[in-house]
Amino acid sequence: MKLKDRFTDRVFTLGGSILLLCIVMAIVFPNKFPTIDNFSQLMLNLSIDTIVAVGMMVLMIAGMFDLSVGSVVAFAGGMAGYLMYYHHVNFVPAIMAGVAGSVLIGFINGWLIARVGINPMIQTLAMMGIVRGFALMLSGAGIQNFPYEYTVIGQSKLFGLQMPVWYMLLVVIVFAYLTKNTSFFRRYYFIGGSEKAARLSGINVEKMKVWAFVISATLAGVAGILLSSRLGAALSTSGRGLEMRVITAVILGGASLSGGYGKIWGSFLGALFMALINNLLILSRVSGYWQEVILGAILIIAVGIDQLILKKMEK
Amino acid sequence: MYKGIVYILVLFLFSCELPPRSGSSTAGTTKGEKKFITADEVSPDEEYVMVTTAVNLPLYVNHDQKAFLAWGKKTAVKVSILGPSEWDVPTQIATIEQVIPGKPAGLLINGTDPGIAQVIKKATDAGIPTVVYDSDIPNSDRHCFIGSDWYEMGRLQGERMAKIIGGNGKVACMGILGMENMEAGFNGFQDALKKFPGIEFIGKYDDKANVETAARITADLLTANPDLAGIGGFDSNSGPGIALSVKEAGKAGKIRITTVDAEPEHLALVKEGVIDYLVGQKRELFTWLGAQFLFDMRHKTMPLSADDASAGVVPIPQTVITGSIEIDKNNVDQFMQ
Amino acid sequence: MLCLNNISRSFPGVKALENVTLKFRQGEVHALCGENGAGKSTLMHIISGNLQPDSGTIVLKEQPVIIENVLQAENSGIAIVYQERSLVDALTVAENIFPVNQPKTSFGLINYKALYANTTALLEELQLSHLAPNTVVGKLSAAQKNMIEIAKALAKKPAVLILDEPTASLTHDETEVLFSIIKKLKQANVVIIYISHRMAEIATIADIVSVLKDGVLQGTVAADTPVDTIVKMMVGRALTASVFSSNTTGNVLFSAEDISGKGFSNVSFRVHKGEVLGFAGLTGSGRTALAKAIFGDAKYDSGKMFMNGKPFRPGHPADAIASHVAYLPDDRKAEGLFLEKSITENIAAVHLDTTVYNKKENERLADGYIRQLSIRTPASAIHVRKLSGGNQQKTVLAKWLSADPELLVVNEPTHGVDMGAKAEIYHILKNLTAKGKGIIMISSELPELLLLADRIAVMYQGKLVKILAKQEATEEKLAALASGIL
Repeated sequence: MKLKDRFTDRVFTLGGSILLLCIVMAIVFPNKFPTIDNFSQLMLNLSIDTIVAVGMMVLMIAGMFDLSVGSVVAFAGGMAGYLMYYHHVNFVPAIMAGVAGSVLIGFINGWLIARVGINPMIQTLAMMGIVRGFALMLSGAGIQNFPYEYTVIGQSKLFGLQMPVWYMLLVVIVFAYLTKNTSFFRRYYFIGGSEKAARLSGINVEKMKVWAFVISATLAGVAGILLSSRLGAALSTSGRGLEMRVITAVILGGASLSGGYGKIWGSFLGALFMALINNLLILSRVSGYWQEVILGAILIIAVGIDQLILKKMEK
Repeated sequence: MYKGIVYILVLFLFSCELPPRSGSSTAGTTKGEKKFITADEVSPDEEYVMVTTAVNLPLYVNHDQKAFLAWGKKTAVKVSILGPSEWDVPTQIATIEQVIPGKPAGLLINGTDPGIAQVIKKATDAGIPTVVYDSDIPNSDRHCFIGSDWYEMGRLQGERMAKIIGGNGKVACMGILGMENMEAGFNGFQDALKKFPGIEFIGKYDDKANVETAARITADLLTANPDLAGIGGFDSNSGPGIALSVKEAGKAGKIRITTVDAEPEHLALVKEGVIDYLVGQKRELFTWLGAQFLFDMRHKTMPLSADDASAGVVPIPQTVITGSIEIDKNNVDQFMQ
Repeated sequence: MLCLNNISRSFPGVKALENVTLKFRQGEVHALCGENGAGKSTLMHIISGNLQPDSGTIVLKEQPVIIENVLQAENSGIAIVYQERSLVDALTVAENIFPVNQPKTSFGLINYKALYANTTALLEELQLSHLAPNTVVGKLSAAQKNMIEIAKALAKKPAVLILDEPTASLTHDETEVLFSIIKKLKQANVVIIYISHRMAEIATIADIVSVLKDGVLQGTVAADTPVDTIVKMMVGRALTASVFSSNTTGNVLFSAEDISGKGFSNVSFRVHKGEVLGFAGLTGSGRTALAKAIFGDAKYDSGKMFMNGKPFRPGHPADAIASHVAYLPDDRKAEGLFLEKSITENIAAVHLDTTVYNKKENERLADGYIRQLSIRTPASAIHVRKLSGGNQQKTVLAKWLSADPELLVVNEPTHGVDMGAKAEIYHILKNLTAKGKGIIMISSELPELLLLADRIAVMYQGKLVKILAKQEATEEKLAALASGIL
């Protein structure tokens, strides 16, 4: 890759920014930031967001997005928790029910968008409300006291890192490989590039769109199970505002709202970057609402710099 | 290649560390191990961290946070307030988790949801003195809980209600259904009313902590029960909502209202004569005393043994109920500034 | 009236214009021609204020002027009709024609009555009185939109009118209307700058012709100069009218029996192996609808199709591709290409039915076709947006050739492609027939149909009127059939 291309590749520029941020933070907080505890906590906190972001990245490559993922996170955990706590269902079928419900939500989203032609923003916005309602019904004020086996999934540790971190890395690596090397996932780049041309090249755009929403909702469902397992509780406020956080991470990671661009590693780096900023604010004891101000500003700066570089190069 | 992958998987499997089973308490296992961190010297750098959710909620800012900051100033130590700006429990949890590795001198945690039990356990396991305030979190191993007794607050309301309506008539109440503390309040309220056979309790309603919803429910209640005698409120917005609707119906003073909290708008309504009785929480005490407990625990202010941390003795109270503030038109002026 | 003196303008790496001096006189139609990239567009952008010249001066009405932006150009009476549309589909004809200068009521609100009256008057002048001013533009045909675009320019009552390929999507009748309007404007002493690829039109409507090549003015000649001479000035060499021999065989490759669908009805025809079957007709005569039905992109209601003797019922383009049918769409940028993707990826688009995405193999394919079709590009990784029209079209062709089709349906294959690339595309298509492939060629350029096709089918209002053998076809006959006269 040429140097010029590197500077427009978000995985590279964002990776560089992350490295820089880490160095600065290590200098400012030598006792608090570069510790194994802090690192493992940071990774754990971004793992749920990243798993959802991978699905969102696939959608955004195809030029779409899904606002209902945050609700699906709460729904999947609530569903599993509801079955285990109130109906004493074994944890395996409970998890499967939570994920199957998420798959169904994704399918309904995809089908209505691809086959009926509802705009993705409207469809998933409506679905966000509907699913949040179901999640509230299922988990009420919150469900605790899960079977021990269920908490093992999210609370076991491997080499000092809690399992969700490993699941996240697995999802990122597998999806990064698949989007690079399989025709199935490559098609999304073409659909995002030009839907019409993709159809006329023999790609079944409608079917692929349905799949994209199913993939995104499934990953959100898995994330929801992991979240409730690691918290040991299904909270009705789970995943609130997650969709916007994830879309921000994915755009920071190099996706474009119009589609055709993006790498899976970008979604991981985007989420990592946001987690670092969050960590920075907590370590420096900055109050919560500043986080949103700062992340908003960073998004504008990142995309703005991109546009400036592009303009400069086109001249 | 495949053989290698299998070896790695087996290695992974064996290095997997399972979470502790609940119930298998770690207390009193190893001799001499310190259960929490203590310090001999008071350092101006030691830090006490409050983690809540919805950090900019006026009720929290004006009472909890104000008292906590004042305590920090008086004690000459560092105090920090963290948490998401929205009501977002998972983010509150994530914030606590990120504070733990820095080992602050003490953690003061708003008991927003029973789901935060695990992270509190994580904090106490890390040896950080931890106090939960407002609502208790069961199964959390917190060192101390300080807050109100919601059953008692409900009972006080119920008794006053019975008194002002003369022991006769229809009474309703509202708040957030399903929330543990509110439900305790409803029970206290109903138990108090049961002692008066002339009172008919017509039900509890969910106003979702929203002024408009509370007002709408009140309007419906007034239409359905023209002979309604009184309404009790259990969240911060119940009172203003009920009062709004009662005033609009021209029944101020006729429908008797008791409710919780003592924010300026509640006080003004008492002064106006729309609300008869307020039962307020002593929120300032939650955080002031909570912080002081943390300080005392860390600095062994009142040792109960030669080494409390090693003996596994928590040298602060386990549960503190602060009691309530009762306000009516006789003493309301003392609360208004 | 309007003089350009020694205008130069360069972009990084390219000298788009070099010392161009041109004089445009009132009441004169001044044609401007040149291949793509010759500098015509740059020149237009400079006159219309979109770009500033690096050096040189513009003199308007004996006054030297600096045209800083489009608004200033408009205020000086310069109006331009672009090739790309500037209409808003969701708004009405009247609102599109008067986007800023609407008549106002005394309250300062839009006076719709006057707006519609003005629009009606303009539409009548353009012989479009059958269109109501409150029609939504999105409902109009491509040709009608083009006329509205012209109306929009005329609404400004320009002193200088620039027309950039105005007839590209117009039918014969509409072209006649346009020409009569141009003649009227001529009498009204308007300066008309007419940019076109079509030599026949230039001879009809223009008074003088200026030829640009590589940013340099080759000369200004009278419009009745023989076409050969002008073409020679444009390309720098004589374009030998190549004659292609027929490769057609007696074996039927594809046949359609009485098929009907949205936009066409009861169409029957056959394509033989090695044959080029031309399709003439006006825009909206049903040719594109038919092509899309054959490719499975649109549903057809009744009738049968056969491919190599087997029943062929494509429900999706993927089915058609599986049966070795390919389709080169007329709207290259929107339907044929992935503009933000590389040549390699554009070719890979039709190889996504495999499990593994084989990047190396696709690169090899791309490099092969870049050589074979002489696509001029520094590398196969270049985004196709950066390629010229001709090379873009060759990329679309390469994509389909890589899918190894038996039947290739090409829709306006040389639309917006310069002379040199045109000839290359003709050779590519003819070479395919030599390998026994069948080609359905839809084209609005009659000379190219006459040059390449073995037989020419003519469509009119959704019906296949007649299929002419090459020998009996002439431009006059085809035009007459296409207009429903014969």
